[in-house]
Amino acid sequence: MKPVRQKAAGSRRRGRAGARKRRRLVQSKRKLSAGERRKPSIKKSKQGRMKNPPSTGWKPEMRASPDSNTKFYPVPANGAGVTPAVSVIIPVMNERRTIAAVIKEARKVHPSTEVIAVVNGSTDGSAEEARRAGAVVLEYDQPLGHDVGRSIGALSASGEVLLFIDGDFVITAGELRPYIRAVLEQKTDVALNNYHGPRRRKQVHNVVLAKHALNAMLGLPELGGASMTAVPHALSRKAVTVIGAEALAVPPLAQVKAASAGLEIRLIERIPVGIRNRKRRTRGHNSQLVRLVMGDHLEAAALLIGQRGRRGGCTDLLRKRQYCEVR
Amino acid sequence: MDYVLPEHLSAAAVISVQNEEQTIVRVLQELRKLPLRDIIAVINGTTDGSLAAAMEMPGVTIVHMPEPLGHDVGRAVGAGMTDADIVLFVDGDLPVAASDLMPFLTAVSKGADVALNDISPYLGRFDRWDDVSMIKAFVNTALGRKSLRANSMTSVPHALSRKALDTIGAGRLAVPPAAQAAAILAGLNVTVCCSVDVIKRNRVRSTNTGKGNDVARLIMGDHIEALCDAMEQEGPRLGLPDFVRRRHAAGGDGPCRTG
Repeated sequence: MKPVRQKAAGSRRRGRAGARKRRRLVQSKRKLSAGERRKPSIKKSKQGRMKNPPSTGWKPEMRASPDSNTKFYPVPANGAGVTPAVSVIIPVMNERRTIAAVIKEARKVHPSTEVIAVVNGSTDGSAEEARRAGAVVLEYDQPLGHDVGRSIGALSASGEVLLFIDGDFVITAGELRPYIRAVLEQKTDVALNNYHGPRRRKQVHNVVLAKHALNAMLGLPELGGASMTAVPHALSRKAVTVIGAEALAVPPLAQVKAASAGLEIRLIERIPVGIRNRKRRTRGHNSQLVRLVMGDHLEAAALLIGQRGRRGGCTDLLRKRQYCEVR
Repeated sequence: MDYVLPEHLSAAAVISVQNEEQTIVRVLQELRKLPLRDIIAVINGTTDGSLAAAMEMPGVTIVHMPEPLGHDVGRAVGAGMTDADIVLFVDGDLPVAASDLMPFLTAVSKGADVALNDISPYLGRFDRWDDVSMIKAFVNTALGRKSLRANSMTSVPHALSRKALDTIGAGRLAVPPAAQAAAILAGLNVTVCCSVDVIKRNRVRSTNTGKGNDVARLIMGDHIEALCDAMEQEGPRLGLPDFVRRRHAAGGDGPCRTG
């Protein structure tokens, strides 16, 4: 579960790169919300039939197929009836301050893009902001829990590329486009952020360790600490089908499924999300969340063991176990 | 210099030897300086003069198997042949001075059940670690013992208490990380003792050099096996929480099982 964000002014140390840009973006949004130059709801028409989404409990069983007529069928944010090339999926929980700027950048990643905001457990008007910024909004009263929003967004996405970002900090369209290109033009199935966490030290954070260890177990040490846990990352439609949208809620599990299916996993641009993301930085001190992520990686290891055997497919060389009564 | 243990405690050393005629005598000479009741040399699959060299040394119990037993099986076989209160494990290819070995015996005599060699000083920065060190640290952390860092019973020297041997079972020592996981899960006192540099001094073999070599994959597999054992006991998340993640909302079900 995402932590309830505490807007502690004390924890506002900003990162280096991108901080200025983000502040600019956030500021421009603030002007809008101050009601100075807001254009009267032109953007609303772009939401098509999602204009009045249910305020309580959109459920996956209500997810409609393209031939259904339910009002829950998400229409691409940028043009009715056209299947978009790119679906950008943004889980949102009380991120009103940043969400509009995030969506604004997301909509620019490709000419044919739908933006799906999975707003859950939000009480600060995030959903309204997201809708105003032109996203299709799937709204849940209750928090869905850590990364479950990604699964839900993926279930209703119709793009050929699915790009996953977070709602609490801005990554510019220019930074995101290489991920789209990698999937659309370079046959990549899983495009990961080439970011490995702080690791130029003797002892690293548990989460950084777990990511590296999982890739090593998978026999993909060249991935280092890159992980589907981190944003941004992009998936091909094929990857979503092979991995299964529901597995995206436990990203390390999804990573094992992708690796074992032989999908093309590549490292794209390095976007130092650890520096930009205030939530992530405070997360480091949230031992409960660290334990969750650790558990996720163990569950992923368990899946690997299920797929490849007790030793994860590794050699036992010439070990003669009959002499020591070990299985 | 005299090395002494409390009188009521007996100690033994287990040394596993394949083709180590160059080093075996020096290894045994150092061991003979220690207050050991037994020195058990498990000589297996040897094709050089290792056996003859060991037989020259007085006070050494020799277990000879013509065929190679495979990695670390010799430790399990040797450990099964002593009932000493403290058992020290060393390799035949790496002479370690008695003064560097004694602290392992002392640590166990003072209450440790597993006294590990602390290799942390030789590993340096994490971004330069090899895969094997990463998985070692990961398994320790997953079992709630982050403080053990990348230290593992895979590495020698280390010493075990009688309690540890009886709890884990000597046979398990053939897969050292599995033995370590069992010790941690059983609540035994697993500690890091002191540092002997086995990385720089280890003999270079064709199978243990370079990234992704056979031995590295073996040790990787040993650690995955350790996780597998632990998961069979504690569940696939080793008791770590899933919080209120509403997986059913996304069409998923509960945490998956091993096997």
